[in-house]
Amino acid sequence: MASRLHFVSFLLLLVVYPAISTNSEGEALHALRARLSDPTNVLQSWDPTLVNPCTWFHVTCDDRNRVIRLDLGNSNISGPLGPELGRLQHLQYLELYRNNFEGKIPEALGNLKSLISMDLYGNRFQGEIPKSFAKLKSLRFLRLNNNKLSGSIPRELATLSNLKVFDVSNNDLCGTIPVDGPFTNFPFQSFENNSRLNGPELQGLVPYDFGC
Amino acid sequence: MESRLFQNLLSTLLLLLLLPFLLAMGSASLASQGRALLQWKASLQSQGLSLQSWKPSASPCNWTGVTCNVTRRGLRVITEIYLSNTSLVGTLDALNFSALPSLTNLNLSFNQLDGTIPPTIATLFKMSSLDLTSNQLTGKIPFEIGSMRRLQFLNLSENQISGSIPPSLANLSRLNYLLLYGNSLSGTIPEELGRLRNLVFLKLADNLLTGFIPPSLGNLTRLYKLALYDNKLSGTIPQELGNLASLVKLVISNNSLTGSIPSSLANLTMLSMLYLYNNNLTGTVPRSFDNLRNLTDVRLFNNSFSGSLPAFKNLVFLDLLGNNFSGYLPPELCSGGMLQHLVVSYNNFEGPTPRSLRNCSSLTRVRMERNQLSGNISESLGVYPYLNYIDLSFNQFSGNLSAKWGKCANITSLRISNNKITGKIPPEIGQLAQLRVLDLSSNFLVGEIPKNASMLVSLYQLNLSNNKLSGEVPKDIGKLSNLEILDLSKNNLSGRVPEKLGDCFKLRLLKLSSNNLNGNIPFQIGNPVNLLDLLDMSHNSLTGDIPSQISKLVILQDLNLSHNELSGLVPPSLRDMISLLSIDLSYNELEGPLPDSQFIRRSPIEWFAHNKGLCGEVQGLPPCHTFSTSKAGSAKHHKVVLLATVPVVGTLFLLFLFGGATFLLLRRRNNTVQDASQKMEGGAFSIWNFDGKDAYEDIIQSSPAKWQDSCCQKD
Repeated sequence: MASRLHFVSFLLLLVVYPAISTNSEGEALHALRARLSDPTNVLQSWDPTLVNPCTWFHVTCDDRNRVIRLDLGNSNISGPLGPELGRLQHLQYLELYRNNFEGKIPEALGNLKSLISMDLYGNRFQGEIPKSFAKLKSLRFLRLNNNKLSGSIPRELATLSNLKVFDVSNNDLCGTIPVDGPFTNFPFQSFENNSRLNGPELQGLVPYDFGC
Repeated sequence: MESRLFQNLLSTLLLLLLLPFLLAMGSASLASQGRALLQWKASLQSQGLSLQSWKPSASPCNWTGVTCNVTRRGLRVITEIYLSNTSLVGTLDALNFSALPSLTNLNLSFNQLDGTIPPTIATLFKMSSLDLTSNQLTGKIPFEIGSMRRLQFLNLSENQISGSIPPSLANLSRLNYLLLYGNSLSGTIPEELGRLRNLVFLKLADNLLTGFIPPSLGNLTRLYKLALYDNKLSGTIPQELGNLASLVKLVISNNSLTGSIPSSLANLTMLSMLYLYNNNLTGTVPRSFDNLRNLTDVRLFNNSFSGSLPAFKNLVFLDLLGNNFSGYLPPELCSGGMLQHLVVSYNNFEGPTPRSLRNCSSLTRVRMERNQLSGNISESLGVYPYLNYIDLSFNQFSGNLSAKWGKCANITSLRISNNKITGKIPPEIGQLAQLRVLDLSSNFLVGEIPKNASMLVSLYQLNLSNNKLSGEVPKDIGKLSNLEILDLSKNNLSGRVPEKLGDCFKLRLLKLSSNNLNGNIPFQIGNPVNLLDLLDMSHNSLTGDIPSQISKLVILQDLNLSHNELSGLVPPSLRDMISLLSIDLSYNELEGPLPDSQFIRRSPIEWFAHNKGLCGEVQGLPPCHTFSTSKAGSAKHHKVVLLATVPVVGTLFLLFLFGGATFLLLRRRNNTVQDASQKMEGGAFSIWNFDGKDAYEDIIQSSPAKWQDSCCQKD
């Protein structure tokens, strides 16, 4: 019943949308909403007929109406993320922690060149950590812990010199842990509870993806 | 006999001569029309279930989506084909249009047809309605369509058609509807389109059209809707558009139009919808717009309009955001009682809110922020049962928050920050069960935060900062389980930081700074583990220790506890707060070693300055030592001890001698003076019990820390 209602309202939104909205960031967020199930109506204020998403709740814009924060932690939301989020070129904080997001983490999130904090922890994300995250040069906080991520930790992430906190604990990662760049500072708790993670990489001795 | 043979030969010859004509008539026969359709069906990659009935064994008139009619000659012919949304995948290339001369209606909308529109479509000379909306057609609009003289309805919208609009379309003198929106059409709008005298709908929106709006469009006196929005049109709005006597909807938003609104548009007496937003228009809205009684939906936002508004009366929707409008808002704005959406933000409007707003119970969305509006809102505003969102921030509104706000049951966002509002926050605010955002910051509110505020269960953002609120932070604030942002800073709040704040597990920003809060920081402050952005309790009178549980806030970025009276040690567990980018503990009474972490070692001294006796590996702070003091210090230490003990020891020695001598003397005369000496002995013995040597040891072994504090205090 709820899903039917959701479908009907989505259809209604589609009908209204072509007539009015031309803000591409609003469109991206609207496309995100269309995929999600939102039983507590956290996204109720996300009206695509508004000229920009800056008055939507849980969306923060700068003074030029560009989205800089998305705060949806602890909101009981489920469903997959899509590549459209990668269009938010001024996004600094992507806070999606403690929900029921599922599916893969989109490669397109690597396009968020202004990103400072990405919190996807406490969800059901699966698949690999995208190598494209190496493009997130401003990133300081990357918390992907408590998901179902697999594959290895991309060693390209060692180029993120601003990365201060990196947490991939409680996943299903394998291979070895990078040891250079910011990885020299991360405590062991950042990697714990990954049964197939083999400890720090032994450079020059063992192939990087050993055990994966 | 000869004549009969000759007659047979003649009739056969006649038959042979007439055969092509017979065949020609046969080509317009139902069977041949059906065959053409079957040929097309065969070319499609997919048709879903809809064309299952299209079989040679059945009459085409019984096929799904096919309608037949009977001609004057009694022949049955296909006149309509309706196949909207039937999952057709393929092209129109194999559709032999010339085999369907009787077709008047063709609707293939909402399918997945691609390829181009064949020019042979123009052989459908009887066509009156052609609808190919929402497919994936590419290529150009064939100019040949201009010869389809009977066309009344032409809809090619929502495809990927490119090239320019052929001027030949101007020959379609019967055309009522020309809908080409949602394509990639380029070039200019042909001025020839002004010849389409019967046009009722002209929608060229959402394309890549450039150039000017042709003044000739002013000739379209039957036009109901003119939609040119979402293009790259430039130049001005032609004043000839004022001749469009039937126009109800004028939508030319999202272009690069310049100049001002021609005053001739005041002649558009039927005009209801006027969308000019997102252009570079300037000038004023003509005063004569007062006369446009049917105007209900006006959207002029994001231009450079100036001046004051005409006396709008019957509006349902008004959006003027982001212009340079000035003067007063029209007082009778809601006199029609229909106004729902009122957005005038980011302008230079002044004066009071329109008096008709008081009883404007139809309001759903109101934005007036960033103007110079004034007046007493407790009088000028009323009750709005359908109001969902209101923002009056950054104006000069005065007066109180009336209890009437409690009746706005559907309100989700109430923002009146940065005004001159006085009085108390009415407890009726607690009735707003849908409220998500409450921002009353930067006003002159007094009194207490109502206890009822804890009933606002949907609230996720509460900002009351920079007011003169007093009393305590409500103890059951923990009931606001959806609270993410709480800012009560810059008030006169007193009492303790409530323990129950720890129940607000979604909290990401907590600011209680610049108040008169006292007592300890409750250990429960470590419970909202999602505290991400900021925890600021600076500039208060907080005492006691920093609870070590604060270190549970492992994702916190900024911590400010400066300017308080916090004492004791900084909890070593603070080194677990790995996300901290800044920490300010200055101006407190803290002492002892700072936690040792890379982050703290790299911190500037300002973050820890003005405390009682902090030490640590921070540049500018003294390094920490436990029982061994520095050489200079210990020498001083010993010196002080000696100075203190020498006179004491000397006195004790003398007393010892005196006491000993007295004892010996008293023993000789024990019988005679027993009573008196006993008293004296008791006194002498009491001195005897004082062990001077032990006292000296005590003083030497007293705690070095105590000594260090009183000697090495630093600024």
